[in-house]
Amino acid sequence: MNLPTLILALPLAGFLIALLVPRSSPQGSRIWAIAISLATFAASLALPMLFDRSGVPSGPGEQFTLDVPWIATPNIHYHVAADGVGLWLVLLSTFLTPICVLISWRSVQNRVKEFYAFLLLLEFGLVGVFLAQDLFLFYVFWEVSLVPMYFLIGIWGHERRIYAAVKFFLFTMTGSVLMLAAIIYLYNRTQTFSYPAIVEMIWNGRLTFAPGEQMLLFLAFFAAFAIKVPIFPLHTWLPDAHVEAPTAGSVMLASVMLKMGTYGILHFCLPLFPSAARACAPWIVVLAIVGIIYGALVAMVQPNMKKLVAYSSVSHLGFVVLGIFTFTQIGMDGAVYQMLNHGISTGALFVFVGLLYERRHSLEISDYGGVATAAPWLATAFLVTTLASIGLPMLNNFVGEFLVLQGAAIANFKWAIYAAIGVILSACYMLWMYQRVFYGEAKEEVRRRVADLNLREWAVVIPLIAMMVWMGVYSQTFLPPVSRTTARVLEQTQVNVPFQVRVERPSRMPAEAANVR
Amino acid sequence: MQLWLIPVLPLAGFLINGLFGRRFSKGTVNAVAIGSVALSFAWVLKTIFALGSLASPYSEHYFTWIRSGILNIGCDFAVDRLTIVMLLVVTGVGAVIHIYSIGYMAHEGGYYRFFAFLNLFMFFMLVLVLASNYLVMFVGWEGVGLCSYLLIGFYFDKKFATDAGNKAFIVNRIGDFGFSLAMFYMVKNFGSLDFATVFQQAPGAPEATLTIIGLLLMLGACGKSAQLPLYVWLPDAMAGPTPVSALIHAATMVTAGVYMTARSWAIYTHAPAAMNAIAIIGVVTAFFAATIGLAQNDIKKVFAYSTVSQLGYMFLGVGCGAFSAGIYHLVTHAFFKALLFLGAGSVIHALSGEQDLRHMGGLRKKIPWTYLTMLCAAVAIAGVPPFSGFFSKDAILVAAHQHAPWMYWLGTLTAGMTAFYVFRAIFLAFFGEYRGDKHAHESPPVMLIPLAILALLSLAGGFLFKVPQFLAPLFPTLEAPEDPALVAISVAAGLMGIALAWMMYVARPGMADSFAASMKGLYTLVYNKYFVDEIYAAAVVNPVVDGSREVLWKDVDVKLIDGAANGVGARARNLGSLLRLMQSGNIRSYATWVLFGSVVLILAMGIVGGLR
Amino acid sequence: MSASFGFNSADLIRFLPETILTVMGTLMMVLDPILHRRSSNAFGHMSIMALIAAIGGAVYAYTEAGPAFGGMLMVDGFATFFRVLVLVVGILTILPSYRFLARQDAETSEYHALLLFSIAGQCLMAAANDLIMVFIGLEISSISSYVLAGYFRDDKRSNEAALKYFLLGSFATAFFLYGVALIYGSTGSVNLTAARAVILGQGPGGAAPAPVFIGVAAALMFVGLGFKVSAAPFQMWAPDVYQGAPTPVTAFLSAGPKAAAFAVFLRIFMTAFEPIGSGWEPLVWCSALASMIIGNFAALLQTNIKRMLAYSSIAHAGYVLVALAARSQVGTAAAMFYLAAYALMNIGAFAVVSHLSGRGERYQNIEDFSGLAQKQPLTAAMLSIFLLSLIGVPLTGGFFGKFYIFKAALESHLVWLTVLGLLTSAVAAYYYLRILVMMYMREPCEAVENAEPLSPGLRAALILPALGTLLLGIFPGWVLAFAEKSAALVK
Repeated sequence: MNLPTLILALPLAGFLIALLVPRSSPQGSRIWAIAISLATFAASLALPMLFDRSGVPSGPGEQFTLDVPWIATPNIHYHVAADGVGLWLVLLSTFLTPICVLISWRSVQNRVKEFYAFLLLLEFGLVGVFLAQDLFLFYVFWEVSLVPMYFLIGIWGHERRIYAAVKFFLFTMTGSVLMLAAIIYLYNRTQTFSYPAIVEMIWNGRLTFAPGEQMLLFLAFFAAFAIKVPIFPLHTWLPDAHVEAPTAGSVMLASVMLKMGTYGILHFCLPLFPSAARACAPWIVVLAIVGIIYGALVAMVQPNMKKLVAYSSVSHLGFVVLGIFTFTQIGMDGAVYQMLNHGISTGALFVFVGLLYERRHSLEISDYGGVATAAPWLATAFLVTTLASIGLPMLNNFVGEFLVLQGAAIANFKWAIYAAIGVILSACYMLWMYQRVFYGEAKEEVRRRVADLNLREWAVVIPLIAMMVWMGVYSQTFLPPVSRTTARVLEQTQVNVPFQVRVERPSRMPAEAANVR
Repeated sequence: MQLWLIPVLPLAGFLINGLFGRRFSKGTVNAVAIGSVALSFAWVLKTIFALGSLASPYSEHYFTWIRSGILNIGCDFAVDRLTIVMLLVVTGVGAVIHIYSIGYMAHEGGYYRFFAFLNLFMFFMLVLVLASNYLVMFVGWEGVGLCSYLLIGFYFDKKFATDAGNKAFIVNRIGDFGFSLAMFYMVKNFGSLDFATVFQQAPGAPEATLTIIGLLLMLGACGKSAQLPLYVWLPDAMAGPTPVSALIHAATMVTAGVYMTARSWAIYTHAPAAMNAIAIIGVVTAFFAATIGLAQNDIKKVFAYSTVSQLGYMFLGVGCGAFSAGIYHLVTHAFFKALLFLGAGSVIHALSGEQDLRHMGGLRKKIPWTYLTMLCAAVAIAGVPPFSGFFSKDAILVAAHQHAPWMYWLGTLTAGMTAFYVFRAIFLAFFGEYRGDKHAHESPPVMLIPLAILALLSLAGGFLFKVPQFLAPLFPTLEAPEDPALVAISVAAGLMGIALAWMMYVARPGMADSFAASMKGLYTLVYNKYFVDEIYAAAVVNPVVDGSREVLWKDVDVKLIDGAANGVGARARNLGSLLRLMQSGNIRSYATWVLFGSVVLILAMGIVGGLR
Repeated sequence: MSASFGFNSADLIRFLPETILTVMGTLMMVLDPILHRRSSNAFGHMSIMALIAAIGGAVYAYTEAGPAFGGMLMVDGFATFFRVLVLVVGILTILPSYRFLARQDAETSEYHALLLFSIAGQCLMAAANDLIMVFIGLEISSISSYVLAGYFRDDKRSNEAALKYFLLGSFATAFFLYGVALIYGSTGSVNLTAARAVILGQGPGGAAPAPVFIGVAAALMFVGLGFKVSAAPFQMWAPDVYQGAPTPVTAFLSAGPKAAAFAVFLRIFMTAFEPIGSGWEPLVWCSALASMIIGNFAALLQTNIKRMLAYSSIAHAGYVLVALAARSQVGTAAAMFYLAAYALMNIGAFAVVSHLSGRGERYQNIEDFSGLAQKQPLTAAMLSIFLLSLIGVPLTGGFFGKFYIFKAALESHLVWLTVLGLLTSAVAAYYYLRILVMMYMREPCEAVENAEPLSPGLRAALILPALGTLLLGIFPGWVLAFAEKSAALVK
């Protein structure tokens, strides 16, 4: 059986069966959810294991391809495959879903059945986004992932959940309809939705756009992705969504959904519209850097933990976008790595904030203080996560930030200088929060309410921290496939050089392309 | 050769104590913590004997850490003579201080936590000195910063402690900002971060490039080694337990900047401008910090500013191209400054927590051993021949004179002040009448023995370890003619300082106060450390925080951006209500609309049709 | 044109659905006195049987595809598609009507009879290839629906709705009739095929008639049909009528007549007026945009769900007009597909409304859906599917329909219409979401508390369209193929 299809089928089946579980037995739903999500994770583990890492770094990217017609007219295919980037993002999604199930075990008590059903549907949509190679299919998953998240926020969120949920839906919807228009336009130009096919056409010059045309298409795609990332100043849906969402929602939102945007930019915007992307790069980089510093500064003064982490995401995602638009191998690798890092460490941050909320029922920093005395292990784990997210070496974020900044420095040293300020600020806001929450005299409330980690919570925390250390110490497990894909993207963004060189070449092998040049 | 064992042993100690220490007895914790450090010290010795003369650096590659594009960074360790010196200092002094801590921390909570952090620090510090490329060095660099953060904030229920911790970390971050930019610039120009590759390409590189790199690295060094303008964290760092101040904030971590600068000599020798900048920063810091040290009453604060000042000397040394002299002073300073702190710790321990010199006095008889050992440290730091401080400081000052005479003179003046404030502290603490109310008791042997060891080293370290000769093959030798005059002057300055202190605090007590009173303004200025912290707060910290809160968040984000988004929604609703007006419910108006619409349509179609 | 009016069997077969419905309708009227006492559901069963039979008839007629009655009817894929569509709409209208009428104890034969007549008229419209036939069909369908709108004699709103609908409707029909007259005058024929030939200058007369007349005729017909499909600027009646009419009738009006009217719209404008397409395209363009904007934006503030759905149906008419503006076979196919999807999701949504509306249709506000998900998860789930489809979320017919329409539009280089249309559809998401919010994110309210459990009829009326919606969204292939094939109107 085709591996991506299996990874897609499991959560979908899980979702459908979860609907059949009688609502009278919430425990049943929980157990089913954890079982199926673990099964999905196990299946997805095969991806990196079987992924062929050999060959030239810029060999053909997608693997595990399955391409079967879905709808005849227009010519839509069920076309899934995993490339070196999607591979890890899929793994990230499947890795975090069981964790989300576990952290919701106690905190979600009403409408348990629906909750886990939606969670599995969400996983289905997210995984699909990273696997789809057919533009239409991609859009389908893109939207499908939107719906369950909307319900997760709207039903199980906090006070202003409805406002947040609707805002989230509308922001994203507005972006995606533009993308839909662009996708249809592309189809009418090429009579295919197959992403590889279109890239191929562009590569060997059979498909060319007028500059204005390409720019509009690029912007249409970019709008959808930029809102999702979110790139400053389109970020204001994020703090609301994060603050109001239940823990699992925040985790999936921050860790995976935001990556849909950056993944889209890397996977679609650049290869499809290289020259437009290059033309916009300076402006986008400016936005990214503004986002990095702005996000950090605003995060620093948040009285609410979740809002703080949300704004820190704006800052971190700024690094990712910066890395992509450096158009350097190092920068792009860093960007992708940073996507994964942010997925792990910010996800973990939301987990811990959730754990604190479960105990103290408050997200206000000022309600805490002295947690370190009340719950030393919780404090320790949180500290490690904090250190990871401020980019301490030997923990994951450092590698990503270093590569991104290095790439930026190679592209334009000024960018590196400004962006690096964000690294200073990250230390400020995270450590300041940590001090106010965990240090100091333990308040009575805290001492009474905040217990240390229990077994189930350890089961959540340990994998996360293990990943932080692993990704920080031995990046070679993850980077090589990434580099392959980014190298290829980089090749594809070279297309705007004259085509004559390449037209007579039989097939597109970037490696050869390199030789030709 | 298994160099990796050297750092990994303390790491193991950290993990064991950190994870299970809570259930261990104090004995077990000690065994693990000190055992691991002692083992790695032993392994260092073994390594040295195995490697012999070390004509060329010996390196080991373990695994590729980061590979991307042109970048290929391995987890590599290397040993050369400079590393050897650092290894010995770190593991040696480290081990001694570990032992001392047994006694000092005996009655503190979080015993296992303290030793775990201390071991973790050893790990990172050893990584720092063993690294054979800048990124791995940066790992240690950041790591020691982390440990310093954790140990400064060791008493984490005290706000001032955690504040100091944050301050230390963040100020260091500003330095690391420079360090990392330097690395980016190196990769941009040399395509590598390996010492070997970079240094071998450096001579060929344009001077501008090297100067930029040099200055950026210097920024990093200033953060770590508490030089102007980033020294502010170190005095506050005294909030940590005293052994920490001795190990991290005197002997080892703070000297990392000096080590890194010396390590990068190949870059600096081709960037004279950067060198000069370092020298200036060094000598000015030395002087500036010394002046503050004159007027402090907290015994640890005195030594803290003294540390800043002494680090200034080391900078001066490396800045003048006398790298070996800088390292030499680093070594001797490790001995006598660690000793001063440990001694101070012993005093504080004896007075159960009292740190204020004004509440001490006459302790000479109560705690004689502490007194004697501290006296050794004092004469050493005062540069009294033939004790250790004399040799290293002398070497630096000679080089300074070579480089720029005014630096020599300023340095000498500082030497005098150094002698003064150290002996001022000694006299205030141990002479005269006891001014406190606590019952003083001598510390246990487990604390005194380390003091004794360090005392010997402070006295004899100078001629025991001829560091410059040892490092000679590594660094470019600069011919500094031994000028007895210069030596004599600096020694004289030191002796005068001691004499002055004796006069003011022993011979004629009260003279100091009248002196302070006579020049009130200057005294308050110095006493309040030139209000630097206040200035920073007013000029940088508060504007940023308030600006972010009031302007960026509440205005830009909420009002402007989000307001715009919601505004669109509002507009849409307005449009909706506008359109609803068509829906009067009145059938005639509907009919009119239909008629109107059709007329328009018909006209349009008629015209379109007619035109064709 | 001298068509011999001697019927042959083929003609009758091609006229089968209409025959079945008319006969059955009349029969019910006759049987009323006998049956009425016995079982209140008899008429419902009968009309459902009639409709199923009619579907059979329509399919059978398709096997004998071709012109009937001297080209007055044209039984082709297009006709069959819409015939089946309106018949299905009929079934889906009747299923929820059982409980609804019972609750208002208003079960009578004429309700069903009128429904069948109206549907018969729509089938006629779908197949008509001759303006007179179109007009007759239009009137049959309209008049019965006028009466249906006012079915609750003693309900003021219902009466008012009926009156408005009737007056404006006849007003608009008059325009249509003028258009017919103008065509006859200028081309000498009311047969679309013939008229087209004449307009192209290939008629017996040879020379093409003055374009002005044709243009004006087109405009007049646009008014008439635009009214029926509630396209701007002829949409005002819709909200009032939809709100006033009995909910199942509203559901029916929003789907059946609309589909039939669009069938006529497409047939006339894609055949007879196809030659002057460049002339009417801008008008359709404007009307489409106006409908989408008016519909979607005005719906934002509605609190009455029937009224809100009325505005949404205006917007959806706008989407279909976009397809018409594309002036291509793909466009026609897209319109057909979209109408099918729209009929299913919209009628499904109305079914839920009628289910909740309670006695005397007390509960018509969006608030009345609060907490439905907790009391009746199935109902809520079904409604969510319809709403998501109306929003245009993938894997639903609504999405694929929209996708297909805008694809056609882009193929015809209507870039801005596409972008604006899609943006308005993003706006639309807001008011559909409000219902989802009510159902899932609020605590149960009075209306929901005393909502009766789903009756079998309703269950079917919800699940069938829901399945249909998903089917059209996930495997649109076969419907699309059929639409594509039968969209080739221009011969």
